[in-house]
Amino acid sequence: MTAPASLIEFRDVHKAFDGKPVLRGMTLSVGKGEILFIIGTSGVGKSVTIKHLVGFLRIDQGEIWFDGKRVDQLDEKGFYAVRRRIGMVFQNATLFDSMTLAENVALPLRKHKKLRQATALAEAMGRLEQVYLTGFADRFPAELSDGMRKRAAIARTLTMDPEVVLFDEPTTGLDPVNARRIDRLILELSRNLGVTAVVVSHDLASIFSIADRVAFLYQGRVHAVGTPAEMRDSPDPIVQQFIQGQSSGPMETPGF
Amino acid sequence: MSFVIDRIFGTISAVGAYAIGGVRAALELWMVFVGTIAGIWRMYGRRGARRPAGALVEQMHIIGNRSLLFIVVTIGFIGMVMIYQACLQFSRAVGDLSQVGVQFLRLIVSDLGPTLTAMMLSTRVGAGIAAEIGSMKVTEQVDALRMSGVLPVDYLLVPRFLASIVMTLGLSILGCAIMYGAGGLTAWLSFEVNPRVFFDVSMVRPRHLILGLMKALAYGAAIPIVSGFCGLRARGSSEGVGWATTAAVVGSSFAVISIDFLLSVGALWLLGGDL
Amino acid sequence: MLGENAITNIGSRAVAVSRELGGITILFAQILRALVPPRLDTRELVKNLHKMGNRSVPIVALTAFFTGGLMVVQAAPFVQRLQATSLAGWAAGYAVLREVGPILIALMFSGRVGANNTAELGTMTVTEQLDGLRALAIDPIRYLIVPRVVSMMVMLVCLTVIGDLIALLGAMLVAKAVLDIEFGIMYASFVENLAPEDFLHGVYKSLAFGLSIAVTSCYFGVTVRGGAVGVGRAVNAAVVAAAVSVMLLDFFLTYLNV
Repeated sequence: MTAPASLIEFRDVHKAFDGKPVLRGMTLSVGKGEILFIIGTSGVGKSVTIKHLVGFLRIDQGEIWFDGKRVDQLDEKGFYAVRRRIGMVFQNATLFDSMTLAENVALPLRKHKKLRQATALAEAMGRLEQVYLTGFADRFPAELSDGMRKRAAIARTLTMDPEVVLFDEPTTGLDPVNARRIDRLILELSRNLGVTAVVVSHDLASIFSIADRVAFLYQGRVHAVGTPAEMRDSPDPIVQQFIQGQSSGPMETPGF
Repeated sequence: MSFVIDRIFGTISAVGAYAIGGVRAALELWMVFVGTIAGIWRMYGRRGARRPAGALVEQMHIIGNRSLLFIVVTIGFIGMVMIYQACLQFSRAVGDLSQVGVQFLRLIVSDLGPTLTAMMLSTRVGAGIAAEIGSMKVTEQVDALRMSGVLPVDYLLVPRFLASIVMTLGLSILGCAIMYGAGGLTAWLSFEVNPRVFFDVSMVRPRHLILGLMKALAYGAAIPIVSGFCGLRARGSSEGVGWATTAAVVGSSFAVISIDFLLSVGALWLLGGDL
Repeated sequence: MLGENAITNIGSRAVAVSRELGGITILFAQILRALVPPRLDTRELVKNLHKMGNRSVPIVALTAFFTGGLMVVQAAPFVQRLQATSLAGWAAGYAVLREVGPILIALMFSGRVGANNTAELGTMTVTEQLDGLRALAIDPIRYLIVPRVVSMMVMLVCLTVIGDLIALLGAMLVAKAVLDIEFGIMYASFVENLAPEDFLHGVYKSLAFGLSIAVTSCYFGVTVRGGAVGVGRAVNAAVVAAAVSVMLLDFFLTYLNV
């Protein structure tokens, strides 16, 4: 039970839903400041993995470490401290429908930095500038495209100045242009703000453009981990099937 | 000064818009009602008409059986409360509790039984119908019905309409019985009124029964029409279904109260004050 | 065979009901805990007060008016028979203030505001906005739910007070129109026979009803599962639960004669 050297570490994590095992001994470490992609086919447990980091799910077995402390045993209240340091951008952006973009971004500023509405809105504008959305600050989420909503969600998550940001399939469902914009944003976060990014994705273009390291999840375990180049050149046929995007091969995909 | 005039005009146009909206809604409701009656004719009045198998019985089960416990509990409690209050007042004003049961029964049969039962049903059944039809509308199943050549009114509303009329009638009668029984129990336990004195049907005239039955029929017709109407107008996704259900509950409850008021006043006028 | 089915039915329904009751009690405890110390999000509170009040005044006013009139209509035969016109005001007023007013206004409120609230919270749950709040380390109970509960309680009390007055007005109008009883007589009858305790009794009831409607409405909103269909079902359940709780509370409060 020694504290790990890396910022985040999963040790032999098991998680089952209704008796069906999803994670079966997952072990993974995330270094400070790196961009780590967790990849794999749909349903293999990628989103489940990162949801454990912020306490939306609880593991059945194993350990999760963050910054030298165990976090898998925390209760809801305990996780609030963690959530201030680990931000999460949901797959559906989940902005609040009843507020404008500026108000959405201002909300955590108001609540956590105890700013008044006017000051919070002003700072929110600055954040929206970072994601190139200043022109849309007074619009409601329903009026905007998916790409814009994603960027606004990222801006909102950044208001907490987190050390780690989790991205749940940030480019899924976006057109190629917007997908690359999101990629660039993630890269800027990491290089300019020193944020550690853990990205759940199956977008090969993103993987090969911005990832520092890639962890390939298969059958509940980290089947392979390495740099994108290492993955591309991997001799493992299962890894190759995913990287090449082939519909048939040695991979066992339940349901087909 | 112009500010005041502006506000006045604003209020008048708002009220006017409200009124126009209300009239339009009433007209559309009437169309749905007419459509449903036409649907009944289409489905049952002609030979060889298509009838969705078992839909009527299923609706009767959903509306009637499932509401049974709910109605028994709520009507029972309200019956007890009403008698308690009535006995308190009677003993204070008249001193003699022998008339309580007799008068109460008249009130129950002609008004309280059907109306309170319908109020409870409008929340349960109204919300249920709007939620079901609303979700179907929002997931485009209603459009799918139209594509297959079936009128939504026929398939969705007619069974619920008929089932509701039958079940509301039945539950109203049950409600009356429960109210009376619960009331008698309370009168006996808290005020020592002899059950034999309480349970006295002598003052109930045919006109009370007719009025009560008419109300129950009207309620039974109104609830599914209003709720189905709201359900069919649902738009959007889950938010739209929520709106439809809300509107259905409010609309049905309000319809019950309005019908009660109109029929009661009407009866009073017709019978010259001797109800 | 039939009996077996019926018993299983009742049994499973009882289990389901007790599970909901447990959940509602837990939510209630969480709300209480969030009120100590009372740190409310004032923006949310004001927004909700505004929203809930605006929405319900017209329908409550109409309902109250009809209710007052109905009470007079019910009392009419006795009044005619006993030739005691002063009785009309007392009978109508007493019933309205103590029972019928609070109950019907609460039921209308539950339909208009309670159901709406469940639908809103339900939609937010389905679109993961509640999880979004938690991810931002904002407690949904403190931020979202407590302001709504407080708003609903305050609003229902205000609406009951206003509704009571409108109902008495309606009673006076109907008495004149149908029974030809002068306004003055009705007014005098009210003043003579109705005591502040009668009024307050109704207000206390509305406070309890408001709390009950608020907590059940929020509970069913945040426990929604399954998209649009789930939201509809949640609204249905919320409205039914509110109606039952209003009746039960009315029963107990009447006996306690608060």
